Amino acid sequence: MLLKWRMQRIFHQFRHALIEPSRNPRTAVVLGRLLALVFLVCFGTGLYSHFLQDPLAWMVFPVRPLWLYQVTQGIHITAGIACFPLIVAKLYAVFPELFQTPAVRSFTHLLERASIALFVAASLVQLSIGLLNTYQFYSLFPFSFRSTHYVLSFVVVGSLAIHIGVKLTTIAQYWRKSNSLDESGALIVLKPEDDADFDIPDDLRRLTGRPQSTGITGRVFEWIDREPAPPEPDRRISTSRRGFFAAVGVAVTAVVGLTAGQSFRVLDATNIFAPRKNGIGSQGLPVNRTARAAEVIDLASAPDWMLRVTNGTTAQQFSYDQLRALPQCEAVLPIACVEGWSQYAHWRGVRLRDLMDIVGAPDSADVLIQSLQTNSRYGTTSMQSEFVRDELTLVALELDGDTLDLDHGYPARIIAPARPGVLQTKWLSSIEVIA
Amino acid sequence: MTAIRRWQIALITLGLGLLIVATVTALQEVPPDRWIGIAGWLIGALIIHDGIAAMAMFGVSVALRRSPIPFAVVVIIQAALAVGTIVTVLVLPAIIKQAIGTANPSILPLDYLANLGLFWLVLLAITGGSIGAMLLVSRRRVVRAAVEQKQ
Repeated sequence: MLLKWRMQRIFHQFRHALIEPSRNPRTAVVLGRLLALVFLVCFGTGLYSHFLQDPLAWMVFPVRPLWLYQVTQGIHITAGIACFPLIVAKLYAVFPELFQTPAVRSFTHLLERASIALFVAASLVQLSIGLLNTYQFYSLFPFSFRSTHYVLSFVVVGSLAIHIGVKLTTIAQYWRKSNSLDESGALIVLKPEDDADFDIPDDLRRLTGRPQSTGITGRVFEWIDREPAPPEPDRRISTSRRGFFAAVGVAVTAVVGLTAGQSFRVLDATNIFAPRKNGIGSQGLPVNRTARAAEVIDLASAPDWMLRVTNGTTAQQFSYDQLRALPQCEAVLPIACVEGWSQYAHWRGVRLRDLMDIVGAPDSADVLIQSLQTNSRYGTTSMQSEFVRDELTLVALELDGDTLDLDHGYPARIIAPARPGVLQTKWLSSIEVIA
Repeated sequence: MTAIRRWQIALITLGLGLLIVATVTALQEVPPDRWIGIAGWLIGALIIHDGIAAMAMFGVSVALRRSPIPFAVVVIIQAALAVGTIVTVLVLPAIIKQAIGTANPSILPLDYLANLGLFWLVLLAITGGSIGAMLLVSRRRVVRAAVEQKQ
Protein backbone atom coordinates (compact mmCIF):
# COMPACT_ATOMS: atom_id res chain seq x y z
CA MET A 1 0.00 0.00 0.00
CA LEU A 2 2.88 2.31 0.86
CA LEU A 3 4.14 1.86 -2.73
CA LYS A 4 0.84 3.24 -4.01
CA TRP A 5 1.13 6.36 -1.82
CA ARG A 6 4.79 6.75 -2.76
CA MET A 7 3.86 6.68 -6.44
CA GLN A 8 1.09 9.18 -5.74
CA ARG A 9 3.63 11.47 -4.09
CA ILE A 10 6.18 11.18 -6.88
CA PHE A 11 3.50 11.85 -9.47
CA HIS A 12 2.39 14.93 -7.52
CA GLN A 13 5.98 16.13 -7.27
CA PHE A 14 6.48 15.64 -11.01
CA ARG A 15 3.31 17.54 -11.81
CA HIS A 16 4.32 20.34 -9.47
CA ALA A 17 7.84 20.55 -10.92
CA LEU A 18 6.42 20.56 -14.47
CA ILE A 19 4.27 23.64 -13.86
CA GLU A 20 5.23 26.24 -16.46
CA PRO A 21 3.31 29.31 -17.61
CA SER A 22 3.22 27.88 -21.14
CA ARG A 23 1.76 24.59 -19.93
CA ASN A 24 -1.94 25.33 -19.63
CA PRO A 25 -5.23 24.33 -21.26
CA ARG A 26 -5.35 27.43 -23.49
CA THR A 27 -1.92 26.58 -24.96
CA ALA A 28 -3.01 22.97 -25.47
CA VAL A 29 -6.19 24.08 -27.27
CA VAL A 30 -4.39 26.60 -29.53
CA LEU A 31 -1.77 24.03 -30.52
CA GLY A 32 -4.31 21.21 -30.66
CA ARG A 33 -6.53 22.91 -33.21
CA LEU A 34 -3.52 23.78 -35.39
CA LEU A 35 -2.28 20.22 -35.19
CA ALA A 36 -5.74 18.80 -35.90
CA LEU A 37 -6.04 21.03 -38.97
CA VAL A 38 -2.64 19.95 -40.28
CA PHE A 39 -3.39 16.28 -39.59
CA LEU A 40 -6.66 16.57 -41.51
CA VAL A 41 -4.85 18.23 -44.43
CA CYS A 42 -2.34 15.36 -44.42
CA PHE A 43 -5.17 12.82 -44.20
CA GLY A 44 -7.11 14.37 -47.10
CA THR A 45 -4.10 14.78 -49.39
CA GLY A 46 -2.85 11.32 -48.43
CA LEU A 47 -6.17 9.68 -49.32
CA TYR A 48 -6.16 11.54 -52.65
CA SER A 49 -2.71 10.17 -53.43
CA HIS A 50 -3.72 6.68 -52.28
CA PHE A 51 -6.82 6.52 -54.46
CA LEU A 52 -4.99 7.92 -57.47
CA GLN A 53 -2.76 4.86 -57.16
CA ASP A 54 -5.49 2.40 -56.17
CA PRO A 55 -8.73 3.86 -57.54
CA LEU A 56 -12.13 2.40 -56.79
CA ALA A 57 -14.11 1.47 -59.89
CA TRP A 58 -16.41 4.51 -59.78
CA MET A 59 -13.68 7.09 -59.20
CA VAL A 60 -12.93 9.82 -61.74
CA PHE A 61 -10.02 12.22 -61.16
CA PRO A 62 -9.50 15.80 -62.32
CA VAL A 63 -6.74 16.28 -64.91
CA ARG A 64 -6.48 20.03 -64.43
CA PRO A 65 -4.84 22.07 -63.11
CA LEU A 66 -1.64 20.43 -64.35
CA TRP A 67 0.01 21.04 -60.99
CA LEU A 68 -2.81 19.52 -58.94
CA TYR A 69 -0.93 16.47 -57.68
CA GLN A 70 2.31 18.43 -57.35
CA VAL A 71 0.52 20.78 -54.95
CA THR A 72 -1.53 18.20 -53.02
CA GLN A 73 1.46 15.93 -52.44
CA GLY A 74 3.80 18.87 -51.79
CA ILE A 75 1.36 20.05 -49.13
CA HIS A 76 1.08 16.49 -47.76
CA ILE A 77 4.82 16.19 -47.18
CA THR A 78 5.39 19.80 -46.12
CA ALA A 79 2.47 19.70 -43.68
CA GLY A 80 3.80 16.42 -42.31
CA ILE A 81 7.17 18.06 -41.67
CA ALA A 82 5.43 21.04 -40.02
CA CYS A 83 3.70 18.57 -37.70
CA PHE A 84 6.99 17.74 -35.97
CA PRO A 85 7.39 21.01 -34.03
CA LEU A 86 3.63 21.24 -33.54
CA ILE A 87 3.29 17.79 -31.99
CA VAL A 88 6.40 18.28 -29.84
CA ALA A 89 4.92 21.57 -28.56
CA LYS A 90 1.52 19.97 -27.94
CA LEU A 91 3.05 17.07 -26.05
CA TYR A 92 5.18 19.53 -24.07
CA ALA A 93 2.04 21.47 -23.10
CA VAL A 94 0.19 18.40 -21.83
CA PHE A 95 3.15 16.41 -20.46
CA PRO A 96 2.10 16.74 -16.76
CA GLU A 97 -1.10 14.82 -17.64
CA LEU A 98 1.09 11.74 -17.91
CA PHE A 99 1.45 11.80 -14.10
CA GLN A 100 -2.24 11.88 -13.19
CA THR A 101 -3.13 10.28 -9.87
CA PRO A 102 -4.81 7.93 -9.55
CA ALA A 103 -3.54 6.71 -12.90
CA VAL A 104 -6.91 5.18 -13.72
CA ARG A 105 -10.08 6.42 -12.02
CA SER A 106 -12.71 4.46 -13.93
CA PHE A 107 -13.28 2.34 -17.01
CA THR A 108 -14.15 5.48 -19.01
CA HIS A 109 -10.96 7.12 -17.78
CA LEU A 110 -8.99 4.04 -18.81
CA LEU A 111 -10.47 4.23 -22.32
CA GLU A 112 -9.68 7.95 -22.45
CA ARG A 113 -6.06 7.41 -21.49
CA ALA A 114 -5.73 4.43 -23.83
CA SER A 115 -7.09 6.49 -26.73
CA ILE A 116 -4.58 9.26 -25.98
CA ALA A 117 -1.71 6.75 -25.77
CA LEU A 118 -2.80 5.30 -29.11
CA PHE A 119 -3.09 8.77 -30.63
CA VAL A 120 0.35 9.87 -29.42
CA ALA A 121 2.08 6.64 -30.45
CA ALA A 122 0.36 6.43 -33.85
CA SER A 123 1.02 10.12 -34.60
CA LEU A 124 4.70 9.89 -33.73
CA VAL A 125 5.16 6.72 -35.78
CA GLN A 126 3.14 8.09 -38.69
CA LEU A 127 5.23 11.27 -38.89
CA SER A 128 8.52 9.43 -38.36
CA ILE A 129 8.00 6.79 -41.03
CA GLY A 130 6.68 9.45 -43.40
CA LEU A 131 9.89 11.43 -43.00
CA LEU A 132 12.13 8.35 -43.24
CA ASN A 133 10.31 7.28 -46.39
CA THR A 134 11.33 10.54 -48.08
CA TYR A 135 14.94 9.60 -47.20
CA GLN A 136 14.24 6.07 -48.56
CA PHE A 137 15.54 4.75 -45.24
CA TYR A 138 13.55 1.53 -45.65
CA SER A 139 16.01 -0.64 -43.72
CA LEU A 140 14.52 0.78 -40.50
CA PHE A 141 11.03 -0.55 -41.29
CA PRO A 142 10.17 -4.12 -40.30
CA PHE A 143 6.95 -3.59 -42.32
CA SER A 144 5.68 -2.22 -45.61
CA PHE A 145 5.72 1.57 -45.49
CA ARG A 146 2.81 2.06 -47.85
CA SER A 147 0.24 -0.17 -46.14
CA THR A 148 1.36 0.81 -42.63
CA HIS A 149 1.18 4.53 -43.43
CA TYR A 150 -2.30 4.01 -44.89
CA VAL A 151 -3.60 2.03 -41.89
CA LEU A 152 -2.08 4.44 -39.36
CA SER A 153 -3.73 7.41 -41.07
CA PHE A 154 -7.11 6.03 -39.97
CA VAL A 155 -5.76 5.26 -36.49
CA VAL A 156 -4.45 8.82 -36.11
CA VAL A 157 -7.60 10.55 -37.34
CA GLY A 158 -9.88 8.12 -35.47
CA SER A 159 -8.09 8.50 -32.15
CA LEU A 160 -7.91 12.27 -32.78
CA ALA A 161 -11.71 12.39 -33.14
CA ILE A 162 -12.10 10.41 -29.87
CA HIS A 163 -9.60 12.69 -28.13
CA ILE A 164 -11.45 15.83 -29.27
CA GLY A 165 -14.73 14.27 -28.18
CA VAL A 166 -13.39 13.44 -24.72
CA LYS A 167 -11.84 16.89 -24.23
CA LEU A 168 -14.63 18.89 -25.88
CA THR A 169 -15.71 20.69 -22.71
CA THR A 170 -12.17 21.95 -22.08
CA ILE A 171 -11.72 22.78 -25.77
CA ALA A 172 -14.94 24.82 -25.81
CA GLN A 173 -13.92 26.69 -22.66
CA TYR A 174 -10.47 27.66 -23.91
CA TRP A 175 -11.27 28.04 -27.63
CA ARG A 176 -11.49 31.85 -27.48
CA LYS A 177 -8.88 34.06 -25.91
CA SER A 178 -11.57 36.18 -24.28
CA ASN A 179 -12.86 33.12 -22.39
CA SER A 180 -9.36 31.96 -21.47
CA LEU A 181 -7.64 35.03 -20.05
CA ASP A 182 -8.96 37.68 -17.69
CA GLU A 183 -8.43 41.44 -18.08
CA SER A 184 -4.97 41.27 -16.51
CA GLY A 185 -3.95 38.51 -18.93
CA ALA A 186 -4.04 35.80 -16.25
CA LEU A 187 -5.42 32.39 -17.19
CA ILE A 188 -8.98 31.76 -16.05
CA VAL A 189 -8.82 28.52 -14.10
CA LEU A 190 -12.08 26.62 -13.69
CA LYS A 191 -10.72 24.05 -11.27
CA PRO A 192 -7.95 24.92 -8.80
CA GLU A 193 -4.70 23.09 -9.60
CA ASP A 194 -4.20 20.32 -7.01
CA ASP A 195 -0.48 20.33 -7.62
CA ALA A 196 0.12 24.08 -7.40
CA ASP A 197 1.73 23.78 -3.94
CA PHE A 198 4.74 21.56 -3.32
CA ASP A 199 4.23 20.60 0.30
CA ILE A 200 0.64 19.41 0.25
CA PRO A 201 -0.30 17.02 3.06
CA ASP A 202 -0.84 13.81 1.08
CA ASP A 203 -1.79 10.25 2.07
CA LEU A 204 1.82 9.24 2.67
CA ARG A 205 2.15 12.03 5.21
CA ARG A 206 -1.13 11.03 6.84
CA LEU A 207 0.07 7.42 7.16
CA THR A 208 3.75 7.90 8.01
CA GLY A 209 4.15 11.56 8.98
CA ARG A 210 6.86 12.02 6.29
CA PRO A 211 6.79 15.47 4.65
CA GLN A 212 7.31 15.96 0.90
CA SER A 213 11.00 16.76 1.25
CA THR A 214 12.07 13.36 2.64
CA GLY A 215 13.89 10.66 0.72
CA ILE A 216 16.07 11.08 -2.36
CA THR A 217 13.30 12.08 -4.75
CA GLY A 218 11.79 14.40 -2.13
CA ARG A 219 15.09 16.24 -1.74
CA VAL A 220 15.57 16.48 -5.51
CA PHE A 221 12.10 17.91 -6.03
CA GLU A 222 12.52 20.27 -3.08
CA TRP A 223 15.75 21.51 -4.69
CA ILE A 224 13.86 22.07 -7.93
CA ASP A 225 11.09 23.88 -6.04
CA ARG A 226 13.49 26.46 -4.61
CA GLU A 227 13.07 28.22 -7.97
CA PRO A 228 9.38 27.57 -8.71
CA ALA A 229 7.52 28.67 -11.83
CA PRO A 230 6.25 32.26 -11.43
CA PRO A 231 2.72 32.36 -10.06
CA GLU A 232 -0.03 34.59 -11.56
CA PRO A 233 0.04 37.58 -11.80
CA ASP A 234 3.65 38.01 -12.94
CA ARG A 235 5.14 39.78 -15.98
CA ARG A 236 7.40 36.77 -16.55
CA ILE A 237 4.35 34.65 -17.38
CA SER A 238 3.51 36.56 -20.56
CA THR A 239 7.24 36.52 -21.47
CA SER A 240 7.27 32.75 -21.06
CA ARG A 241 4.08 32.23 -23.09
CA ARG A 242 5.21 34.55 -25.89
CA GLY A 243 8.60 32.85 -25.94
CA PHE A 244 6.93 29.45 -26.21
CA PHE A 245 4.72 30.42 -29.14
CA ALA A 246 7.60 32.28 -30.80
CA ALA A 247 9.71 29.10 -30.55
CA VAL A 248 6.91 27.04 -32.13
CA GLY A 249 6.53 29.61 -34.92
CA VAL A 250 10.26 29.77 -35.60
CA ALA A 251 10.57 25.97 -35.56
CA VAL A 252 7.68 25.53 -38.02
CA THR A 253 9.07 28.29 -40.25
CA ALA A 254 12.54 26.70 -40.14
CA VAL A 255 11.51 23.13 -40.95
CA VAL A 256 9.11 24.25 -43.69
CA GLY A 257 11.28 27.01 -45.13
CA LEU A 258 14.39 24.84 -45.29
CA THR A 259 12.72 21.82 -46.93
CA ALA A 260 9.65 22.92 -48.93
CA GLY A 261 11.81 24.01 -51.88
CA GLN A 262 11.77 20.38 -53.08
CA SER A 263 8.03 20.79 -53.70
CA PHE A 264 7.62 24.51 -54.33
CA ARG A 265 10.13 26.17 -56.65
CA VAL A 266 9.72 29.56 -54.99
CA LEU A 267 11.51 28.17 -51.90
CA ASP A 268 14.27 26.40 -53.83
CA ALA A 269 16.93 28.88 -52.70
CA THR A 270 16.37 28.00 -49.03
CA ASN A 271 16.15 24.24 -49.61
CA ILE A 272 19.13 23.01 -47.61
CA PHE A 273 17.60 20.02 -45.80
CA ALA A 274 15.11 18.37 -48.19
CA PRO A 275 16.02 14.95 -49.59
CA ARG A 276 15.70 16.27 -53.16
CA LYS A 277 16.93 19.39 -54.88
CA ASN A 278 15.59 20.84 -58.10
CA GLY A 279 18.05 20.45 -60.97
CA ILE A 280 20.04 17.56 -59.46
CA GLY A 281 19.77 14.26 -61.32
CA SER A 282 20.11 12.86 -64.84
CA GLN A 283 19.21 15.57 -67.38
CA GLY A 284 18.81 17.96 -64.45
CA LEU A 285 15.81 16.07 -63.06
CA PRO A 286 15.77 13.93 -59.89
CA VAL A 287 15.36 10.18 -60.33
CA ASN A 288 13.50 7.83 -58.03
CA ARG A 289 14.39 4.49 -59.60
CA THR A 290 17.30 4.06 -61.95
CA ALA A 291 17.46 1.71 -64.93
CA ARG A 292 20.08 -0.30 -63.05
CA ALA A 293 17.83 -0.71 -59.98
CA ALA A 294 14.95 -1.68 -62.25
CA GLU A 295 17.23 -4.18 -64.05
CA VAL A 296 16.16 -2.97 -67.48
CA ILE A 297 19.40 -1.65 -68.99
CA ASP A 298 19.76 -4.44 -71.57
CA LEU A 299 16.08 -4.62 -72.51
CA ALA A 300 15.66 -0.84 -72.72
CA SER A 301 18.83 -0.40 -74.79
CA ALA A 302 18.04 -3.24 -77.20
CA PRO A 303 17.84 -2.00 -80.83
CA ASP A 304 14.84 -4.28 -81.48
CA TRP A 305 12.74 -2.73 -78.68
CA MET A 306 9.09 -2.43 -79.64
CA LEU A 307 6.07 -0.89 -77.94
CA ARG A 308 3.03 -3.15 -78.23
CA VAL A 309 -0.39 -1.46 -78.20
CA THR A 310 -3.46 -3.71 -78.06
CA ASN A 311 -7.22 -3.39 -78.05
CA GLY A 312 -8.71 -6.86 -77.83
CA THR A 313 -7.62 -8.68 -80.98
CA THR A 314 -6.29 -5.51 -82.59
CA ALA A 315 -2.60 -5.13 -81.92
CA GLN A 316 0.06 -2.82 -83.25
CA GLN A 317 3.77 -2.75 -82.57
CA PHE A 318 5.86 0.39 -82.81
CA SER A 319 9.63 0.59 -83.02
CA TYR A 320 11.37 3.64 -81.60
CA ASP A 321 11.75 5.15 -85.10
CA GLN A 322 8.10 4.48 -85.92
CA LEU A 323 7.04 6.32 -82.77
CA ARG A 324 9.24 9.25 -83.72
CA ALA A 325 7.66 9.28 -87.18
CA LEU A 326 4.19 9.77 -85.69
CA PRO A 327 2.91 13.33 -85.01
CA GLN A 328 4.82 14.68 -82.01
CA CYS A 329 3.36 16.82 -79.27
CA GLU A 330 5.07 18.94 -76.62
CA ALA A 331 4.00 19.48 -73.01
CA VAL A 332 5.47 21.21 -69.98
CA LEU A 333 4.47 18.99 -67.08
CA PRO A 334 5.78 18.33 -63.59
CA ILE A 335 7.12 15.04 -62.36
CA ALA A 336 5.53 14.96 -58.91
CA CYS A 337 6.71 12.17 -56.66
CA VAL A 338 4.73 10.61 -53.81
CA GLU A 339 7.74 11.54 -51.67
CA GLY A 340 6.84 15.19 -52.16
CA TRP A 341 9.49 16.48 -54.56
CA SER A 342 8.46 17.78 -57.93
CA GLN A 343 9.98 19.49 -60.92
CA TYR A 344 8.68 20.79 -64.21
CA ALA A 345 10.20 19.55 -67.46
CA HIS A 346 9.64 19.94 -71.18
CA TRP A 347 8.42 16.65 -72.67
CA ARG A 348 8.00 15.64 -76.32
CA GLY A 349 6.43 12.52 -77.73
CA VAL A 350 3.31 10.89 -79.13
CA ARG A 351 -0.11 11.58 -77.65
CA LEU A 352 -1.41 8.44 -75.98
CA ARG A 353 -4.85 9.09 -77.43
CA ASP A 354 -3.37 8.99 -80.96
CA LEU A 355 -2.05 5.50 -80.26
CA MET A 356 -5.47 4.56 -78.88
CA ASP A 357 -7.11 5.78 -82.08
CA ILE A 358 -4.73 3.69 -84.18
CA VAL A 359 -5.94 0.50 -82.42
CA GLY A 360 -9.57 1.70 -82.43
CA ALA A 361 -9.99 2.06 -78.68
CA PRO A 362 -13.20 3.79 -77.54
CA ASP A 363 -13.03 7.17 -75.75
CA SER A 364 -14.05 5.53 -72.48
CA ALA A 365 -11.18 3.03 -72.54
CA ASP A 366 -8.95 2.53 -69.52
CA VAL A 367 -5.54 1.05 -70.19
CA LEU A 368 -3.03 -1.23 -68.53
CA ILE A 369 0.53 0.00 -68.93
CA GLN A 370 3.37 -2.48 -68.70
CA SER A 371 6.97 -1.52 -68.05
CA LEU A 372 10.06 -3.55 -68.90
CA GLN A 373 10.77 -3.68 -65.15
CA THR A 374 9.38 -6.69 -63.38
CA ASN A 375 10.85 -6.23 -59.90
CA SER A 376 8.47 -3.49 -58.75
CA ARG A 377 4.78 -3.25 -57.93
CA TYR A 378 4.73 -0.26 -60.29
CA GLY A 379 5.91 -2.37 -63.24
CA THR A 380 2.26 -2.56 -64.24
CA THR A 381 -0.08 0.40 -63.75
CA SER A 382 -3.57 1.23 -64.88
CA MET A 383 -4.70 4.56 -66.29
CA GLN A 384 -8.27 5.82 -66.31
CA SER A 385 -9.85 7.14 -69.48
CA GLU A 386 -9.79 10.79 -68.33
CA PHE A 387 -5.98 10.62 -68.36
CA VAL A 388 -5.76 8.40 -71.47
CA ARG A 389 -7.78 10.86 -73.56
CA ASP A 390 -6.11 14.00 -72.23
CA GLU A 391 -4.32 15.99 -74.93
CA LEU A 392 -1.22 16.33 -72.72
CA THR A 393 -0.80 12.66 -71.86
CA LEU A 394 2.20 11.53 -73.85
CA VAL A 395 4.29 8.53 -74.62
CA ALA A 396 7.32 10.71 -74.12
CA LEU A 397 10.50 10.21 -76.14
CA GLU A 398 12.34 13.42 -75.27
CA LEU A 399 13.06 15.40 -72.13
CA ASP A 400 14.11 19.04 -72.31
CA GLY A 401 15.07 18.73 -75.98
CA ASP A 402 17.18 15.56 -75.66
CA THR A 403 16.48 11.87 -75.99
CA LEU A 404 15.26 10.44 -72.70
CA ASP A 405 18.04 9.26 -70.44
CA LEU A 406 17.87 5.59 -69.50
CA ASP A 407 17.14 6.61 -65.91
CA HIS A 408 14.18 8.69 -67.09
CA GLY A 409 12.62 5.83 -69.00
CA TYR A 410 14.35 5.51 -72.41
CA PRO A 411 13.17 4.49 -74.92
CA ALA A 412 9.65 5.67 -74.00
CA ARG A 413 7.73 6.59 -70.88
CA ILE A 414 4.35 7.90 -69.85
CA ILE A 415 3.90 11.48 -68.76
CA ALA A 416 0.43 12.74 -67.85
CA PRO A 417 -0.91 15.75 -65.99
CA ALA A 418 -1.90 15.62 -62.30
CA ARG A 419 -0.63 12.06 -61.69
CA PRO A 420 1.88 10.70 -59.13
CA GLY A 421 5.38 10.08 -60.44
CA VAL A 422 5.16 6.35 -59.67
CA LEU A 423 2.35 6.10 -62.24
CA GLN A 424 4.36 7.88 -64.95
CA THR A 425 5.57 4.47 -66.12
CA LYS A 426 9.11 4.32 -67.46
CA TRP A 427 10.69 1.85 -69.96
CA LEU A 428 7.38 1.11 -71.67
CA SER A 429 6.76 -2.39 -72.91
CA SER A 430 3.06 -2.50 -73.74
CA ILE A 431 -0.20 -0.58 -73.48
CA GLU A 432 -3.38 -2.63 -73.38
CA VAL A 433 -6.99 -1.47 -73.48
CA ILE A 434 -8.78 -3.10 -70.54
CA ALA A 435 -12.26 -1.51 -70.43
CA MET B 1 -28.92 16.50 -23.94
CA THR B 2 -26.63 19.49 -24.46
CA ALA B 3 -25.07 20.43 -27.79
CA ILE B 4 -21.61 19.57 -26.43
CA ARG B 5 -22.82 16.15 -25.35
CA ARG B 6 -24.24 15.50 -28.84
CA TRP B 7 -20.96 16.55 -30.46
CA GLN B 8 -19.05 14.33 -28.06
CA ILE B 9 -21.13 11.31 -28.99
CA ALA B 10 -20.77 12.10 -32.71
CA LEU B 11 -16.97 12.54 -32.50
CA ILE B 12 -16.38 9.43 -30.41
CA THR B 13 -18.63 7.39 -32.72
CA LEU B 14 -16.74 8.73 -35.75
CA GLY B 15 -13.44 7.94 -34.07
CA LEU B 16 -14.45 4.40 -33.22
CA GLY B 17 -15.70 3.95 -36.79
CA LEU B 18 -12.34 5.05 -38.20
CA LEU B 19 -10.51 2.71 -35.81
CA ILE B 20 -12.68 -0.14 -37.12
CA VAL B 21 -11.74 0.88 -40.69
CA ALA B 22 -8.08 0.86 -39.61
CA THR B 23 -8.44 -2.61 -38.08
CA VAL B 24 -10.18 -4.07 -41.12
CA THR B 25 -7.62 -2.46 -43.47
CA ALA B 26 -4.77 -3.78 -41.33
CA LEU B 27 -6.22 -7.29 -41.46
CA GLN B 28 -6.55 -7.06 -45.25
CA GLU B 29 -3.32 -5.27 -46.17
CA VAL B 30 -0.74 -5.97 -43.46
CA PRO B 31 0.55 -9.54 -43.17
CA PRO B 32 0.37 -10.84 -39.55
CA ASP B 33 4.15 -11.29 -39.41
CA ARG B 34 4.49 -7.49 -39.74
CA TRP B 35 2.21 -6.65 -36.81
CA ILE B 36 4.91 -7.21 -34.21
CA GLY B 37 7.20 -4.77 -36.01
CA ILE B 38 4.47 -2.11 -36.10
CA ALA B 39 3.60 -2.68 -32.42
CA GLY B 40 7.30 -2.38 -31.58
CA TRP B 41 7.46 0.99 -33.33
CA LEU B 42 4.31 2.23 -31.53
CA ILE B 43 5.60 1.20 -28.10
CA GLY B 44 9.08 2.48 -28.94
CA ALA B 45 7.63 5.88 -29.90
CA LEU B 46 5.95 6.21 -26.49
CA ILE B 47 9.11 5.16 -24.64
CA ILE B 48 11.34 7.50 -26.65
CA HIS B 49 8.98 10.43 -26.22
CA ASP B 50 7.67 10.04 -22.68
CA GLY B 51 10.64 8.26 -21.16
CA ILE B 52 13.57 9.97 -22.84
CA ALA B 53 12.79 13.12 -24.85
CA ALA B 54 10.26 14.66 -22.45
CA MET B 55 12.43 13.82 -19.42
CA ALA B 56 15.48 15.33 -21.09
CA MET B 57 13.50 18.48 -21.86
CA PHE B 58 12.33 18.56 -18.23
CA GLY B 59 15.93 18.22 -17.02
CA VAL B 60 17.16 21.03 -19.27
CA SER B 61 14.35 23.39 -18.23
CA VAL B 62 14.96 22.65 -14.52
CA ALA B 63 18.70 23.23 -14.93
CA LEU B 64 18.08 26.51 -16.74
CA ARG B 65 15.49 27.60 -14.19
CA ARG B 66 17.92 26.98 -11.32
CA SER B 67 20.71 28.86 -13.07
CA PRO B 68 21.43 32.51 -12.20
CA ILE B 69 20.52 33.59 -15.76
CA PRO B 70 17.77 36.24 -16.06
CA PHE B 71 14.31 34.81 -16.75
CA ALA B 72 13.86 36.32 -20.24
CA VAL B 73 17.30 35.04 -21.30
CA VAL B 74 16.32 31.55 -20.12
CA VAL B 75 13.20 31.76 -22.29
CA ILE B 76 15.29 32.71 -25.35
CA ILE B 77 17.83 29.94 -24.70
CA GLN B 78 15.06 27.37 -24.20
CA ALA B 79 13.39 28.46 -27.45
CA ALA B 80 16.67 28.28 -29.39
CA LEU B 81 17.48 24.85 -27.96
CA ALA B 82 14.02 23.57 -28.87
CA VAL B 83 14.24 24.89 -32.44
CA GLY B 84 17.78 23.55 -32.90
CA THR B 85 16.92 20.14 -31.46
CA ILE B 86 13.83 19.70 -33.65
CA VAL B 87 15.72 20.61 -36.83
CA THR B 88 18.60 18.32 -35.82
CA VAL B 89 16.28 15.40 -35.14
CA LEU B 90 14.74 15.84 -38.61
CA VAL B 91 18.08 16.11 -40.42
CA LEU B 92 20.09 13.48 -38.51
CA PRO B 93 18.49 10.47 -40.28
CA ALA B 94 19.28 12.12 -43.63
CA ILE B 95 22.94 12.42 -42.63
CA ILE B 96 23.04 8.79 -41.48
CA LYS B 97 21.27 7.49 -44.60
CA GLN B 98 23.57 9.52 -46.82
CA ALA B 99 26.59 8.01 -45.06
CA ILE B 100 25.17 4.49 -45.49
CA GLY B 101 24.48 5.13 -49.17
CA THR B 102 21.48 5.97 -51.33
CA ALA B 103 19.95 4.25 -54.35
CA ASN B 104 21.09 7.00 -56.69
CA PRO B 105 22.94 10.34 -56.45
CA SER B 106 19.79 12.47 -56.76
CA ILE B 107 18.52 11.14 -53.42
CA LEU B 108 19.92 13.15 -50.48
CA PRO B 109 22.29 15.08 -52.77
CA LEU B 110 23.18 17.95 -50.40
CA ASP B 111 25.88 18.32 -47.74
CA TYR B 112 23.45 17.97 -44.85
CA LEU B 113 26.11 17.91 -42.13
CA ALA B 114 27.63 21.18 -43.30
CA ASN B 115 24.16 22.70 -43.76
CA LEU B 116 23.21 21.64 -40.22
CA GLY B 117 26.39 23.24 -38.88
CA LEU B 118 25.54 26.42 -40.79
CA PHE B 119 22.01 26.33 -39.40
CA TRP B 120 23.32 26.07 -35.81
CA LEU B 121 25.72 28.96 -36.44
CA VAL B 122 22.87 31.16 -37.71
CA LEU B 123 20.69 30.04 -34.79
CA LEU B 124 23.47 30.89 -32.31
CA ALA B 125 23.95 34.29 -33.93
CA ILE B 126 20.21 35.07 -33.81
CA THR B 127 19.99 33.82 -30.22
CA GLY B 128 22.99 35.92 -29.18
CA GLY B 129 21.56 38.94 -30.97
CA SER B 130 18.17 38.48 -29.33
CA ILE B 131 19.73 38.15 -25.86
CA GLY B 132 21.89 41.23 -26.47
CA ALA B 133 18.92 43.28 -27.68
CA MET B 134 16.80 42.11 -24.78
CA LEU B 135 19.48 42.96 -22.19
CA LEU B 136 19.99 46.38 -23.81
CA VAL B 137 16.28 47.15 -23.65
CA SER B 138 16.11 46.00 -20.00
CA ARG B 139 19.12 48.15 -19.05
CA ARG B 140 17.63 51.22 -20.74
CA ARG B 141 14.37 50.57 -18.93
CA VAL B 142 16.20 50.40 -15.59
CA VAL B 143 18.19 53.57 -16.35
CA ARG B 144 15.03 55.43 -17.43
CA ALA B 145 13.23 54.30 -14.28
CA ALA B 146 16.17 55.53 -12.14
CA VAL B 147 16.21 58.92 -13.91
CA GLU B 148 12.46 59.32 -13.47
CA GLN B 149 12.82 58.45 -9.79
CA LYS B 150 15.51 61.15 -9.30
CA GLN B 151 13.31 63.77 -11.02
